[in-house]
Amino acid sequence: MTRYIILIAMAAFLYSNCHAQNMQETLKKTFIAFDTTQDFDKKLEQSNKLSMIAKKWNDSWETHYYNAYSKASISYMEKDEKKRDAFVDEAERERDEAVSILGKENDETYVLAAMVANARLAVDGRNRWQKYGKIFEEDLTKAKEINANNPRIYYLKGISVFFTPKMFGGGKKAALNYFEKAEPLFAQEQEDDMSKPFWGKRANGYFIAQCKGEDKE
Amino acid sequence: MIKNFTLRLKWQFLPLAMLLSASALGQSVLSGKVIDDKGKPVSGASVYLDNTIDGATADSTGVFKFSTDEKGAQTIMATEVGHENAGMPIKITGDVKDLVIKMKTSARQLDEVVISAGSIEASGNGKTVLQTLDIVTTAGAQADIVKALQTLPGTQQQATQTGLFVRGGDASEAAVVVDGLTAQNAFLSTPPGVAARSRFGAFQFKGVAFSSGGYSARYGQALSSVVELNSNDLPDKSTVNLGINMAGAYASGSKLYKNSAVEGTAYYNNLTPFYGLANTNVDYYKVPQGGGGSAKYTWKPNKDGIVKALVNYSKFTSGTGIPDPDSGMAGKTLNFDLTNQNVYSSVSYQQNLKDKWRLFTAGAFSYNQDDIKWDTIPMLNKDNRAEFRAEAKWYATSRFSLLFGGEFQHFSYSRKYGYLTGSFDETQFAGYTEADWSPVNWFTIKPGVRYEHSQILQQSDFAPRLAMGIKSGLYGQFSVAGGMFYQLPDPQYMIYGYRPKMQEATHYIANYQYMHNDRTLRVEAYYKSYSDLIREHVSMFDPNNYYRYIYGTVDNSGYGYAKGAELFYRDKKTVKNADFWVSYSYIDTKRLFKNYEAEVQPDFIATHNLNIVAKYFIEKLATQVNVTYNYASGRPYYNPSNPVFMADRSPEYHNLSLTVNYLHSIKKWFTVVYAGIDNITNHKNIFGYRYDNAGNAYAIKPALYRSVFVGVNFSLTAFDKDEL
Repeated sequence: MTRYIILIAMAAFLYSNCHAQNMQETLKKTFIAFDTTQDFDKKLEQSNKLSMIAKKWNDSWETHYYNAYSKASISYMEKDEKKRDAFVDEAERERDEAVSILGKENDETYVLAAMVANARLAVDGRNRWQKYGKIFEEDLTKAKEINANNPRIYYLKGISVFFTPKMFGGGKKAALNYFEKAEPLFAQEQEDDMSKPFWGKRANGYFIAQCKGEDKE
Repeated sequence: MIKNFTLRLKWQFLPLAMLLSASALGQSVLSGKVIDDKGKPVSGASVYLDNTIDGATADSTGVFKFSTDEKGAQTIMATEVGHENAGMPIKITGDVKDLVIKMKTSARQLDEVVISAGSIEASGNGKTVLQTLDIVTTAGAQADIVKALQTLPGTQQQATQTGLFVRGGDASEAAVVVDGLTAQNAFLSTPPGVAARSRFGAFQFKGVAFSSGGYSARYGQALSSVVELNSNDLPDKSTVNLGINMAGAYASGSKLYKNSAVEGTAYYNNLTPFYGLANTNVDYYKVPQGGGGSAKYTWKPNKDGIVKALVNYSKFTSGTGIPDPDSGMAGKTLNFDLTNQNVYSSVSYQQNLKDKWRLFTAGAFSYNQDDIKWDTIPMLNKDNRAEFRAEAKWYATSRFSLLFGGEFQHFSYSRKYGYLTGSFDETQFAGYTEADWSPVNWFTIKPGVRYEHSQILQQSDFAPRLAMGIKSGLYGQFSVAGGMFYQLPDPQYMIYGYRPKMQEATHYIANYQYMHNDRTLRVEAYYKSYSDLIREHVSMFDPNNYYRYIYGTVDNSGYGYAKGAELFYRDKKTVKNADFWVSYSYIDTKRLFKNYEAEVQPDFIATHNLNIVAKYFIEKLATQVNVTYNYASGRPYYNPSNPVFMADRSPEYHNLSLTVNYLHSIKKWFTVVYAGIDNITNHKNIFGYRYDNAGNAYAIKPALYRSVFVGVNFSLTAFDKDEL
């Protein structure tokens, strides 16, 4: 009799393990897989998974938030302009969905909005820098008003300055100031809670190394 | 005994084994491939079971494979960024192989059809052909917006006559509109025979729309064209701008508050260094100098509204030796002293309401005074204008909108020459309505009608307008535009007490435009018929157009026509960092108007006009090089000894100009150093000849042949100390 019960218990345990799908775990695993690879195909695969996750756990703001982040992020690596705009369109939709679930904007959603604006600008910089550059700055300012210690504000600003030509006040030296301001703020962050986004730390370090490297300009 | 035990054990583990394999059996593997409507694989497609996270990404051959625990009736979905979502029902009772999912390529969003017949827009939204910055950097334009428009189709090159001459019309037929209100003195005052620049600085505007015909019911009283200038909204940041060049020095600043901004400019011009270096064809015994300033206040009371208030003031003096119009001898000059003062002020308010309404109202006042001395005889010209516009646009649906509004204008001119005086006051009312309807994505129609009433002429008119656009293919479109246009005759007739009727023109324009990948091609053809043109019945033709004393009968028996074809090609893509456009215009026009003896091609029109504008940015040197070449065929001029009126043609016009802009940042100051040469080859462009009583001809020349211009501009953008 005991054996039988153990058998059933084991079977039940096996069954539940096969089917248990923890949203947090899945989201975290997929997001980290997305963020740590530089290969476009691998990124696309994880980004597609994030879309599925957002669709399945539709009521969670985090799934939409990270899905939006992945779409904006991957748009930079896509070559076809129309597809890039389509990625950014989806990033916008998903971000707006996250905000409507949250009920209002917070510093992270504004930071994500700035990132989306920058992704939109990057598709056709020459014709879009005026409109989306302005939106980018406005969103970072709004994020700063809510939480001035959010490192991603300075990280994104640093990237924008890094790619701005030197004659317009950009360049590595000017950008370094922002990355260095972000660095200690990144160091303070925990990296376990998906409801408190922590992306950007690794890339920030990469950019600092770039800025400090040989400046041939 | 042991055998029995093993047997019993087997039986006990059998359910477990069955359960284990059952859960393995619970996983089904789905595989297949994703293709598009042409059978090509769609790599990167996300294939998954709806409402689950079971799925995979298709590889480069479109093949996918994933496992799932789901069973029974399911829907398998495929999504990919360049294709429409696809899905199909499947039944899972085990592995499913060889699935084929077909995806349709995304029906590309057709860009809205935009009616382009008769108009070229320049603004920052990327959908237009030109940007404001393109205009400013055009070589030969000397940063004058209106002069830069002379590189576009439909215009004429002018160096001796002031204004914009569009498709056969003279300068009075082109109106310059700033923020919805007509600018009465769009150009500076200059002595006769010297073309003046426009009063507007290019950087004041966020957009320019140049219409060469068939323009909206919103405007009237211009037989040929309307140039719409839209001033900047709130500046992005507080800035300070300082500049010095061969014409003078200027300073401007803007201070940005939360929802408002204050801007001011001040400038002083003295052309001594400029004319000192150049050989002028005109004798400046008093080199032009003057100055002025402006102030602007911008306020956004809410997210969708904006109020702008501005005032400009300027004063200029010059002393020029001009050919004596009355003298019988060639080469005799008289002294023309000129002091011009001008004040312009306007207030405008635009408010969008819930994306359903756009309300706009604006008012302006201008005053202009020319103190002139012809040798010893003084002349005093004064004119002023007050106007008001109020309009509303109703966005009924995303496909239909309706505009309606009204305009009120009051202007007066007065002239006092020696003991002769003349003046008039005019009040005009206008009402207009225009609909914008896009029943389908690829077709738009814009009918409109404008009603105008002139008090001084006691005349009213109804001017219908119509424009349509049809998309052809993904990137091309056809459009047509037309309508009737009315215009008061030149003020000089009204000043002397004449009260003729309004002049009239009817336009028919058709064009084809193709825009793709930063390349634009435009082909346009038009026919304009003129009637009721002002005509003086005099015994002899006097070519002098300036302050000519008008006598004899004046009526509206003049008429004419203008027809032509134009080609415009712009390319920002083929050469990296380079941008160029080519514009060619052909015109066949004749008119009998003013004191003309017969219906002929007027002296301000050249049959062929070709403009080539090129800009190249050398990244390594942070330098932009702009080159412009203008060509115009000979234009008619009056030769008294030729029995055929206006049959002579001047030599051809060639002008090659080059400007170089160097960009640099010194600490926080963004600096632009610019240098330019106009008419590099020093080509002696002659616009015609004047004859004296003895039959000697003297050439009508521009003020300068080759000229050099150098300057530097510093701008400082407010550095927010809290930014870091």
